[in-house]
Amino acid sequence: MSGFVGLLHAELTKFRSVRGWVIGCGLAVFLMLLFAGLAGAGNSHTGNGPGGGALPVGPDGTRVLDGLTLVHQPLDGDGSLTVRVASLVGSEPPEPPQDGAAPTAPERPAAPPTAAPEPWAKAGLIVKSGTAPGSPYAAVMVTGGHGVRMQHDFVHDTAGPADARWLRLVRAGGTVTGYASADGTAWTQVGTAALAAGEATAGIFVATPGHEEFDQYPGGASSIGGKVIATGTFDNLVIAGGRPGAGWETRAVANENDPQAPPLLSEHDGDTFTVQGSGDVAPATGGPGPKLEQTLVGSFAALTVVAVLGVLFVTTEYRRGLVRTTFTTTPGRIRVLAAKAVVLGAITFAVGLVASTGALLLGKAILGEDYGATVGTQVRLVVGTAALLAVAAVFALAIGTILRRGAGAVAAVVVLITLPYILSVAAVLPAVPAQWVLRLTPAAAFAVQQTLHVWPQVYQAYTPAFGYFPLSAWGGFAVLCGWTAAALAIAAVLLRRRDA
Amino acid sequence: MEATIKVDGLRKTYGSTVALDGMTFTVNPGRVTAFVGPNGAGKSTTMRVVLGLDRVDAGTALIGGRPYRSLRTPLRHVGALLDASALHPSRSGRDHLLWQAHSQRLGGKRVDEVLRLTGLADVGRRSAGGYSLGMRQRLGVAGALLGDPPVLMLDEPFNGLDPEGIRWMRGFLRALAAEGRAVLVSSHLMSELQDTAGHLVVVGRGRVVADTSVADLIAAASGDRVTLRTSARTEAMTALAREGATVAVTDRDTLTVDGLPADRVVVVLSGAGVPFSEVAAHRATLEEAYMDLTRDAVEFRAEPTEVAR
Amino acid sequence: MTGALHAEWTKLRTVAGPLWLVVGAAALTAALSVAAVAAAECPATGCGQDAVRTSLTGVQLGQAIVAVLAVLVIGDEYRTGLIRTTLATVPSRVTVLAAKGAVVAGATLAAAVPGVLGAYLAGRLMLPGRGFTAAHGYPPLSLTDGATLRAVAGSVLYLTLVALMSLGLAAAVRDAPTGVGTVLGVLYLAPVLITVVSDPDWEKRLRQLTPSNAGLSIQHTIGVADLPIGPWAGLGVLALWSAGALLLGGLLLRLRDA
Repeated sequence: MSGFVGLLHAELTKFRSVRGWVIGCGLAVFLMLLFAGLAGAGNSHTGNGPGGGALPVGPDGTRVLDGLTLVHQPLDGDGSLTVRVASLVGSEPPEPPQDGAAPTAPERPAAPPTAAPEPWAKAGLIVKSGTAPGSPYAAVMVTGGHGVRMQHDFVHDTAGPADARWLRLVRAGGTVTGYASADGTAWTQVGTAALAAGEATAGIFVATPGHEEFDQYPGGASSIGGKVIATGTFDNLVIAGGRPGAGWETRAVANENDPQAPPLLSEHDGDTFTVQGSGDVAPATGGPGPKLEQTLVGSFAALTVVAVLGVLFVTTEYRRGLVRTTFTTTPGRIRVLAAKAVVLGAITFAVGLVASTGALLLGKAILGEDYGATVGTQVRLVVGTAALLAVAAVFALAIGTILRRGAGAVAAVVVLITLPYILSVAAVLPAVPAQWVLRLTPAAAFAVQQTLHVWPQVYQAYTPAFGYFPLSAWGGFAVLCGWTAAALAIAAVLLRRRDA
Repeated sequence: MEATIKVDGLRKTYGSTVALDGMTFTVNPGRVTAFVGPNGAGKSTTMRVVLGLDRVDAGTALIGGRPYRSLRTPLRHVGALLDASALHPSRSGRDHLLWQAHSQRLGGKRVDEVLRLTGLADVGRRSAGGYSLGMRQRLGVAGALLGDPPVLMLDEPFNGLDPEGIRWMRGFLRALAAEGRAVLVSSHLMSELQDTAGHLVVVGRGRVVADTSVADLIAAASGDRVTLRTSARTEAMTALAREGATVAVTDRDTLTVDGLPADRVVVVLSGAGVPFSEVAAHRATLEEAYMDLTRDAVEFRAEPTEVAR
Repeated sequence: MTGALHAEWTKLRTVAGPLWLVVGAAALTAALSVAAVAAAECPATGCGQDAVRTSLTGVQLGQAIVAVLAVLVIGDEYRTGLIRTTLATVPSRVTVLAAKGAVVAGATLAAAVPGVLGAYLAGRLMLPGRGFTAAHGYPPLSLTDGATLRAVAGSVLYLTLVALMSLGLAAAVRDAPTGVGTVLGVLYLAPVLITVVSDPDWEKRLRQLTPSNAGLSIQHTIGVADLPIGPWAGLGVLALWSAGALLLGGLLLRLRDA
């Protein structure tokens, strides 16, 4: 073991004593910062992209949409609500905007809307700690196409029966339980949610996401859509535990800055409530538009630099016959490869950490916001990018050992990592092949830079062209690690077999 | 550890080319062993095999009884100089030694010592890319000395040295051997090793042609020939031939006499009244002895090749 | 100049590497195109895709191999020290670079013509099976169509210009792996950068000025009028990059010791 420490020391001395390689490390940092600046500047005029502006923040810090029409009354303590959702319909989607004009909210439909609702249009019961956007809630609802759901605090979603129309919410202490029933007599529990005890507001609500169609074309992606209105009809509304004498009030909870705030409508006719709503109660998704990971776009430049460093770290030895001196000082060739990998990985990780931290901070400073990424996510971005660079450098080392020729090895590494990314993310390939490319090639590792979250309860094109990787952050990173491990194994076998 | 290199029955082919063909010899401590042969005879390949760099089809190569690859800190057992140009041009000479030292758990102090030993103390911190061939050879020797090893193996260390450098290298090698080390030095020019090598391993076409001490070799090559300088060439030849000697003309006034010792030549010439200015026992140079050997080697090699076809 | 040209040609054809790179560039260009065409689909009329461009996707990969070929023509000489022999036989740096440029262009054409034609054939033969039918508004690809011919011939020119740019950059950096890294960085970074820039002015500028984006506008056959830069103008931008790189390389070759 102490022999291996000596070996590490030797390889470290080798690396730091070549001035060009040290300069290369500096260049990687510089390029990361430069491109963070470029990406920041290239986005600075578009603070209000789709879903942009100052979005409210949910209880867990996620940026959310919180637009709904609420018919409610106070609920100070324990209690329950029961209702039957008689119908949920949508409006015709607006015409696609012409020449990039902003989509406009439709006029209030003259005739009762009869179009099919959006799949994630929602009508149901809600207990919400307040009417401020982003405040905690628990709700059970009928949706346009996904049956009964129990959702709370924007990000949590539990499926219930597909065909139930009767809904019940029971609040007891800090817990809210949702039930559904097909006939109003036999109830099944859908789910439970924690909601702080104390003053809250409770009632029925309607919300619907806009109608969107996602399209991708070589070189880009677009979403076309606009607001729609959902109309829910309720009857048999019963509340237990409400304040004596309190009546039902109608109120729109919406993003204050939303110029397309939904028209407020609710009619109370005997036992029947008709409520129109738009906007959505859901986590915000990215889609096209600025994202925090774009501040790290320079990692492609840095990747090219570390690929060159990784390749040169071994091929210069071959090209000058120095490898014989190395194997004379250390006959265990696998140990030499391991020491090189450890030293190179450690150096590039440290360089990557400095570079990506700097790039993220600089990019955030220029963009003036962090797109709601939590500190944990930001740490993952920085550490993940550094790890990506380190593993890519080791991958380059292994390819360099296999090919022994610098130029070919650099081309192989850059092409294997960058080209699949370009083909899939720049939407040269259709969505499904692009997803497979990002599952199988080393480019999958860029998933560690993803800040977007796939929310099953939100309709969105979760495809590479819209910035969604098919694998999880560390799952994608593991793909690159797998390639690197395989390349190292081949390199080790060849090292053993070949004459130096 | 025993300071020896033992090479036994090495065999290696590259495709249809036979590089090593049963190479067998031993290098013993306390003397410089010259490893000579024409280019392509297998000298460098043998050294690479000894260092565990190249694989062989058959045979073993042991350093002090152990294969090179089993050594934990090999530079403390063997110092080797294979290719003095194997340097990263932008790394300084000192850093080039430093990483080797670190791999053996040695420090910068030892590096500075060997730089001083090889006369590179002043240039150690300059980029090795700017070194002359002679400086690179010295740097290579410095690397070989890092671990203060009992066995040294140098491949063509005289290449690129100026006369001053050649003299330095000869003295240095002798001194290392005098310290009790086993020193193996390859060369394709025998003259470089004159007065340096105590033992000789001559190779041709991948196998050992002669394995002998230098003294024996020169004695054998010299025979009992006598060099004679005289102004009366014809008379001298007649007188000596009458006594049974074979006489050859080497120059306008020089004859080489074979078959009579020097003192008999003086008696014969004096008795015949032939004037002469010098009579000396002929001493072959190492170069001549080597040429004799390799000439034999070529003849010796020609036959089996014919048979093989 | 003829002598220098002949010498460069002899150097190129007497080692095995360039031949394999020529074959590899042609094969990989065609192979990636086949894969891209096999992945493409046009489910309905007016699916908005540029069928010719999809067929020519392989150029994205071919350019990397072509770059390696061009970089090695000069990088290998620095690796082996052969550059000194070259400059001793032909002392004029400009002549050496011009001769190398001619040889590189020739070798690249030898790779690009079969590679791009293979890509075109892949599109012509396979696209109808992927829904790109006349019924969906896509007649089979044909070189008699002016736009298609422009895209196909332009792709060959694109690869040649990329090779010349690589040669110039390699002469400037003098080290083959670093040269390949530099070239691929320049070529591949721009499309990635465009995916993250949302400011339309910035995006337009990037599409107009970066060598790969501007140069590849030659592959467009539909919506040409809406491109940030026209097909030939785009190729012209790449040509300026190549000329600039060669100028830089030539200048450094003159100024520096060999």
